[in-house]
Amino acid sequence: MTDANASKVCFHCGDPLLAGSDFRIVIGHELRDMCCPGCRAVAQLIADSGMARFYAQRTEYNLRPDSTLDDVSTEAQFQLYDDPALAATFSEDDGDGLTRVRLLLGGMTCAACTWLIEQSVTQLFGVKSAVVNLSQSRLDVVLDRERLPLSRLFARVAALGYSVKPFHANAQREQMRREYRSDLRRLAVAGLGMMQVGMFAVALHAGELQGIAREYEQLLRVVSLGVTAFIVMFSARPFFSSAWRHLRHGALVMDLPVALAIGLAFTASAYATATGTGQVYFDSVVMFTFLLLLARFAEKRARLAGSLDWFDAESALPDAVLMRCGDDWQRQARQLLERGDRVLVRAGDTVPIDGVVGSGESAVREDAFSGESLPRSVSRGDTVFAGTVNTDAALDITASGSYGDTRLAALQRSIETASAEKPPIAQTADRIAGWFIGGILLATGATAWVWYSIAPERALWTALSVLVISCPCALALATPAALSNAANALRRSGVLVRGEGALESVARVTHVLFDKTGTLTHGELAIGRVLCLDGTSRTDVLALAAALQRYANHPIARAFADIAPAGGVSGVRFDVGRGVSGIWRGHTCRIGSEEYCRQIAPSLPTQPDGAGYWVAVTLRGQPLAWIALEDALRDEASALTAELKSRGTRLELVTGDHSRQAAVMGNKLGFDAIRVGMSPQDKSAHVAALQKQGATVLMVGDGLNDAPVLRRANTSIAVAGATDLARTQADFVIMDGDLHRVTRIIDKALQCRRTLYQNLAWALGYNVVGIPLAALGYIPPWAAAIGMSLSSLLVVANSLRLARPLRRT
Amino acid sequence: MESLYLLIPIALVFCVIAIRLLLWAIDNGQYDDLDKESWRILDDDDSGREKDHKTHRDEDNGPST
Repeated sequence: MTDANASKVCFHCGDPLLAGSDFRIVIGHELRDMCCPGCRAVAQLIADSGMARFYAQRTEYNLRPDSTLDDVSTEAQFQLYDDPALAATFSEDDGDGLTRVRLLLGGMTCAACTWLIEQSVTQLFGVKSAVVNLSQSRLDVVLDRERLPLSRLFARVAALGYSVKPFHANAQREQMRREYRSDLRRLAVAGLGMMQVGMFAVALHAGELQGIAREYEQLLRVVSLGVTAFIVMFSARPFFSSAWRHLRHGALVMDLPVALAIGLAFTASAYATATGTGQVYFDSVVMFTFLLLLARFAEKRARLAGSLDWFDAESALPDAVLMRCGDDWQRQARQLLERGDRVLVRAGDTVPIDGVVGSGESAVREDAFSGESLPRSVSRGDTVFAGTVNTDAALDITASGSYGDTRLAALQRSIETASAEKPPIAQTADRIAGWFIGGILLATGATAWVWYSIAPERALWTALSVLVISCPCALALATPAALSNAANALRRSGVLVRGEGALESVARVTHVLFDKTGTLTHGELAIGRVLCLDGTSRTDVLALAAALQRYANHPIARAFADIAPAGGVSGVRFDVGRGVSGIWRGHTCRIGSEEYCRQIAPSLPTQPDGAGYWVAVTLRGQPLAWIALEDALRDEASALTAELKSRGTRLELVTGDHSRQAAVMGNKLGFDAIRVGMSPQDKSAHVAALQKQGATVLMVGDGLNDAPVLRRANTSIAVAGATDLARTQADFVIMDGDLHRVTRIIDKALQCRRTLYQNLAWALGYNVVGIPLAALGYIPPWAAAIGMSLSSLLVVANSLRLARPLRRT
Repeated sequence: MESLYLLIPIALVFCVIAIRLLLWAIDNGQYDDLDKESWRILDDDDSGREKDHKTHRDEDNGPST
């Protein structure tokens, strides 16, 4: 954030400044430029409350705040949360007159945001404490509701430029939190216990070399036994319970030899302590437990990083709606809506419920469902769906059911079905493990039996050596270590890895399916060709068009947002579904459909033939230009498809769009198959059919309508700007929208698989050599323990090579 | 070497105290968000001037309890 940059982009959000805009304020003794009143209000609040230092601390720009909010309307908007019944769904009284409130935040871009929010909320009168959990985007506030109404708390966070919603607990989320804590408890106890037992072990080993009185040796052994027993019972319990659970179902899992090794080494050492003979291996037992727990904890944490599991389809809907009560519109909680209720949806709002339009004329954006970027015109009698956005004018709709009956809820349910039907991931290590474990147990048993008939007193210890040397520590670590390091490397290069075992599936991908809108394209209309008629200049026409579109809420208008508008346009009127008209220098001008513009300019030529959505511009009977608006292809899309094709993967385009354009684009990019007009269910069914033929499918998508297929595919990638719901269903999320990351993910997955095979080869090779030697009695248990540790270290070190970030190509 | 009979129990007592403390901290949610905490430690040595400003604001808003 240098000064040179600051002069061109908004100091708060980093968006480019529009020519002619002037929103400046003093922050930290310097005059800073802002792009809009929204950013200025937020920056002013931050500076006024003495937290300007935030700007020096942050590592990313903030998101641009919703400029429609102002102080009065924000507090009014959140007023419904003061209702005790609704408040009870996300807060709890802790008995001392204080209330604990949990809020879900949106728009946090870096860790400095947590500082800003905590500081700012703590300053409010009546707040006892405020803590932000960055990884869950959650804000916990303890406050006195007598002194601070909840609406003011919401308004404060919103005023800082973050979106805020109640954080509703759900079972899955609670489960995750409990698991995380109990994993951490086990790890902590194992770590501290390892230090204790290790200390005694050093004394015992020193004693073996220098001589130690029998009495003290026995003391140290007994104490070690006590500490180890506690750790085995407390920390190693999951290994035992998992091994037993799977064994009952006849499955041999990695946890079985782990549990056996821990159990047998502990029992044998306890026996040696009790009888005062042989060797004790308490230190090996606890170290083994700790290292395994650590590896699993690290792997789980990498997997959960950036997870958004608590978003569901419903969270896209507004919490408050304007409902007809008697003769008045009143603010109500959305959850209370029922069939027959009348709801007012203002322009720009998300439709909260499926319903029939009673009055009003507008257009709704349904890109969430259909992938179609242009809105559909609706009027009296038409049906609108929850989750779509009303673009033009207020609509009065009558609900046709409650949330559970909506198309959005149906989509959410189809995601759940898809996840239940998803083919299970066959993990290489687990496949090998079953055989391997069976082999180990046979070898151990055979060794014990043979030695029992030769020299009974050595049978137990030789068998233990076999078990320890073949201990699957390296094998058990091989997979999680490789996967977590590869995931970390990807995260550093801007890709979140979410799915379990996703990297392994990516390495086997045969089919790559792409969504069109928002994935291969930018998902927003942009100005394409401009056909100037009548000798007008392109700049003038675009400036006039921008002036007319300036205050429109239509997706077309956004294409003109970056163009400096012509001055002096007045009397702007929106004609829903047709166009915009206004007065410029005393003459009527219009921009819109062919028919609409021909009304004032009969000489308008017919719409040119060409891809895109065409609008005409006319001024006082004179046609000025035809402007093509198109959803432009991402720059790197053709390079990506060419690269994927050269690797021999089959490419398919599946899109909800049924225009001719989709097919043209698909052919140009060299797709092997193009399927247009696909509903979310069609996409899922298509993937299922491919999977039945033995294909491993990678789906790349972004929209709400892609969510079920992202979940259904063997593995999936969501691109930047993807809806929250799509992100939660995808295994990978590309954060910066660079499609080249798709090939990088595949490269990393291949490299990860190579490392995994090396790890497994080493672990198996080591055992092939070690087990016969141990079985013949050449390797004492202590040497076996050292060999096992070195073997594990080697596997971890090999996996660390994966952590290097991807090379730029 | 008889001191071992005293020293080892003392060591174990300390160990138990450390474990109890750690478990309390985990259950208290202090380890729930490891990403934020690693950043927070860099934050607190802030400059005097703005800290003054901040305290001043606190007074403006009345007691925060």
